[in-house]
Amino acid sequence: MTDGPRVLALLTDAWGAGGGIAQFNRDWIAAACAAGAEVDVLAYGEARADDASVPERARVIGATSGRAAFALQAYRAAARRPDLVFCGHLHLAPVAAFAARTAACPWWLQLHGIEAWPAPGRLRRMAAARADLLVAVSRHTRRVALGWWDGEPWRARVLPNTVATRFTPGSRDEALAARLGLDGAPVLLTVGRLAASEAYKGHDRILRALPALRTEWPSLRYLVVGDGDDRPRLQALAHALDVAASVRFVGAVPPAELPALYRLADAFAMPSTGEGFGIAFLEAMACGVPALGLVGDGSADALGDGELGSVVAPGELADGLAHMLRGGSPRGDELAARVRARFGQPVFARGVSQLLQQALEAA
Amino acid sequence: MCGVAAIHAWHPSASPVEVAELRRIAARLAPRGPDGEGEWIAADGRVALAHRRLAVIDPDPRAAQPMHAADGAAVLAYNGEIYNFRELRDGLERDGAAFRTRSDTEVLLALFAREGEAMLSRLRGMYAFALWDARRGALFLARDPLGIKPLYLADDGWTVRVASQVKALRAGGRVSAAIEPAGLAGFALFGAVPEPFTLLREVRALPAGHALWVDERGPGAPRRHFSIARAYAEGAPGDDPGATALDALRDSVRAHLVADVPVGVFLSAGIDSGALLGAMVDVAGTPPTAVTIAFDAYAGSADDEAPLAARVAAQYGAPHVVRRVDEAEFRTDLPRILDAMDQPSIDGFNTWFAAKAAREAGLKVALSGVGGDELCGGYPSFRDLPAALRTFGLAGRVPLIGRAVRALLAPALAATGRGSPKLAGLLEWGGTWPGAWMLRRGLFMPWELPRILPRDVAAEGLRRLRWERRIAASLQPDPGSDFARVATLESSHYLRDTLLRDADWASMAHGLELRTPWVDARLLQRAGAAFAALGAGRGKALLAQVPRTPLPAEVGARAKTGFQTPVAAWLQDMGKAPSVRGGGAPAGRGSRALAAMLLAREAT
Repeated sequence: MTDGPRVLALLTDAWGAGGGIAQFNRDWIAAACAAGAEVDVLAYGEARADDASVPERARVIGATSGRAAFALQAYRAAARRPDLVFCGHLHLAPVAAFAARTAACPWWLQLHGIEAWPAPGRLRRMAAARADLLVAVSRHTRRVALGWWDGEPWRARVLPNTVATRFTPGSRDEALAARLGLDGAPVLLTVGRLAASEAYKGHDRILRALPALRTEWPSLRYLVVGDGDDRPRLQALAHALDVAASVRFVGAVPPAELPALYRLADAFAMPSTGEGFGIAFLEAMACGVPALGLVGDGSADALGDGELGSVVAPGELADGLAHMLRGGSPRGDELAARVRARFGQPVFARGVSQLLQQALEAA
Repeated sequence: MCGVAAIHAWHPSASPVEVAELRRIAARLAPRGPDGEGEWIAADGRVALAHRRLAVIDPDPRAAQPMHAADGAAVLAYNGEIYNFRELRDGLERDGAAFRTRSDTEVLLALFAREGEAMLSRLRGMYAFALWDARRGALFLARDPLGIKPLYLADDGWTVRVASQVKALRAGGRVSAAIEPAGLAGFALFGAVPEPFTLLREVRALPAGHALWVDERGPGAPRRHFSIARAYAEGAPGDDPGATALDALRDSVRAHLVADVPVGVFLSAGIDSGALLGAMVDVAGTPPTAVTIAFDAYAGSADDEAPLAARVAAQYGAPHVVRRVDEAEFRTDLPRILDAMDQPSIDGFNTWFAAKAAREAGLKVALSGVGGDELCGGYPSFRDLPAALRTFGLAGRVPLIGRAVRALLAPALAATGRGSPKLAGLLEWGGTWPGAWMLRRGLFMPWELPRILPRDVAAEGLRRLRWERRIAASLQPDPGSDFARVATLESSHYLRDTLLRDADWASMAHGLELRTPWVDARLLQRAGAAFAALGAGRGKALLAQVPRTPLPAEVGARAKTGFQTPVAAWLQDMGKAPSVRGGGAPAGRGSRALAAMLLAREAT
C-alpha cells in the first residue's frame, strides 16, 4: 500500500465546501489516490475529515484559517518528507514553495482562473517561479499565466475540470417542473453563484436579451439557479426590463438535485467573462443540454471551441440563445457522450496520473 | 529546401486538427517551396503534416512530402539537406533496406526506423523536421546541430503547432498574438531575437542542436544532441593542425556540392567566399556562377566589393553576376523584405538582394561563406574579449563597483551624445565572458532599454531573458581555450540568431537554397580544435589556402571592414528610422537606428 508517492496537498478547501475549486480539489485527490498516491490534505479553509467521499488513501491532517497555524502545520507535514507537494491555489504558493524546499521535493502549482489572471505580486510570483509544474484548468489561464510565470512552457500544462457521473441525460421531473411553474414552456438555465464579486457571470446579459427572445417564445422561462449578494441587483434589473414574470430565481440547490434541474432546460447559458473553465457548462452538456458561453476566457475549453457548445461574442448573445432554443444545437445522449469523451473522469484521472509522473520526474 | 508545418492535438480534450488552419500555415510558407505542396492528415484527425517543396535532390514527384515510410510506421515533413545521404543510404541498403526514391527524405525515414532518435548523430547537413512516429503515437521534432534551418512551435496546452517560420504560425490564426517581452528585450540588446524566444509569447524556437518529442503528455523538454562547446572541449588539434584544418575545410566543400541542380556561390571581396569559390572549382572541375551585390552608393569607394570580387571570379574562371542595387530598388523591395523577415533583424538585407540576384540568374542552390569568421577566428572579438577579461576580470570580482561606475557614467555619456554607451559598462561587464561578449555585440545596453521600450516591458523582458545566464550556459562544458570560448560564443549566438536566421528567411523568400560549408558540425568536430590551436590571426590565412590556386593577394590584404550596406542611411532618407544618439561609430549608430525602427514597427 505504501509504494505510491506520498503527496502533501495544500488546499483552500475540499470536502464540505461549495464552488468549482473545492470540487476540483476533491476530484484531484480522488484521481491521485486512484493513481496510487497517498494524499495528506492540509486546508486553509474547509475540509471535513469525516466526509463519506474522502478516499481511503487520503486523510485530512488539518484545516485552519489562521495563516501562522497553516504555515506551521505545512512545515511539520513537509518535515515528514513527502515526495510531492500539491499546491491547490496561487495564494498558497509561498507556503508551498517553503514546504517543498523543506521536504526537498518537487511541487505542483495548480491554477484555476481569475486568481491567476492579474500578474501576482512579487512574493507570490517568486514563489510560483520555483514550482516544478504549473497546471492550469484551461488553455486561457495557462496562456495568461505564462505572461508572468518565467518557467519553460513544457512545465506548464492544462488539466481540464471534469464532470461528476451523476450528470447524465434523463427524463424530465414533471413534479419539479410543475413546482417551478414551467408548464411546458421553453426553459433557459444558468447555474452559478450570484456573488457581486463574480458579477462577470453574465446573468444580466441574459436578462437584457430576454425581451427580444420573448417575441419568439412568449412563454419562455429563465431559471436562475444559485444565490448570493448579487441577487437583489439582478431582480431589480429583471423588473426594470419588464421581464420579471419570465424569470425564476430558484436559489441555491443541493448538488444532488442539480441534474434534475439541468434536465428541465432546453438551453444552458453562462455568458461569463471570468471563467477559469466553467464546470457548469460540462454539467449541462453531460445532461444532454446545449450550452453557450462567451469568447475570451476559459469557457471555450469547456465548450470545445464550439464543437460541443456555442462560443459567441457578446454582441451575438441573443442570436446564439435563439439558435439553441430553436433546437439548432447538438443535444441529448450524443452530446453527453461527446462531452464525456473529452472531459469524463477517466480523462481527468489519466491527466492527473501523467502529470504526477511529470512532477515526480522533476525530483 | 522547403517549408514544414505540423499540428498535433495531443491532449485528449483538444478538438481534432483543423485542416483549414494547417493550410493557412502552409500557405504562408509557400515562397520556401514553390515546386510542390503536400499534406497528410491522420485518420483519427489528431495529427497533420504539411510541406512546401523546393526540389533540389530527386526533383521527381515520387519524392514529394510528407513522405510515408514503406511500412506506414512514420510520416515525415522535412526541410533541409543531408549531405551524406548517399553514404547513409548505401549502409542501409547493405543492411537490407529498399528505397523507392533517390531522395534524402527517404533515407531519413529508413534511418529513423533503424536507429530512432539516435539517428541525429549520423546526419551531416542542415535540417529541421517533424516526424510522426505512428508506433509510438508521438511527434518527433529535430533541428540541425548549428541551427541553420529553423523550427518553431507553439503549444497552447492542448494542441501543438509547428512551422518553419514564426509568421506562418501566426497566419494559422490560432496562435496568441501576445508579445514576449524577453524577445523584445533580446532584440534590443543584440539586434536579433535570441532563441528560444521569439517576439510571441506562445511561440518558441526549437533550439539548434535539440530535438523533442510531443507524446501523450505534450511537448517534452528539448533535448540536446549537439553542443558547440563540447565539440571544442573534446576536439583534438592533431599533430599538424594546419593540415587537419585544410583537409576538413575541403571535405566540407565537397560534401556541400551534392545536388541534382546547378550550385552557385555568393561572392564578396572577402576571403571566406573567395576561398569557397576556389575550392568549389577544385572539387567540381567546372566553375560555378558567382553572384556579387554592389551598392551604387559605394561605387568607386573602398566599400565597393565588386571590383575585387570580379578579380576573384576571373581568377577561377567563374561566370560572374554583379548585381547592382540602388536606393530605388531598396524602397520598392522594403515592404516585401519586412514581410519576409520572419523576426526583426538588423541584418539580412544583403542576403535578400544576393538571393534575389541568384534566382534571377537561374540558380536554385548557392553556397555562402557565412561562418568563416566564427570558425577561423576572423572577428576582432577573438582578441578583444580575452583582453577585456584580463583587464577587467579583477574589477568584476569587487561587488557593486562596476554597477556604481556605470550608474554614474551612463547618464553622462548619454547627455553628451558622444562616445559609446558601452564605455559605461566596461567595469561592470567587461570582466566576464557573457558580459564582455554582450559589450562587444550589444546594440543597446541593458541600462538603455527602459529608454527605448516601455519601462515595465524592459524590466520584465530582462528578467525573463536572463541573458547573462543563457550566454554563460553556452560555454558549458568549458571549450578549453580563449579562442574556443570566443568561437563558441560567436557561433552559439551571433551566427545562430542573426546570420543563419537571416540567411534562411532572406534566401527562402526567393525560393533559393543557401548552403553554408563553413557552418558544418562535422567540420567543427574535425577542425575546431585545430583552429583553436592555430589561434586568432592565422585561421583566415589558412582559409585562403583552401583553393589549390591561391586567392589574389589583394583579398588577404584588404582591411577587414565588415560587410557594409547603405541600408541604415537609406532608411533615414526615407524618414523611417529615428535618429538615435550614441552608439559610437557611424555604423553602430545606423544599426541602432534600424533596430529602433523595427522595434517601433513591432510595437504598432
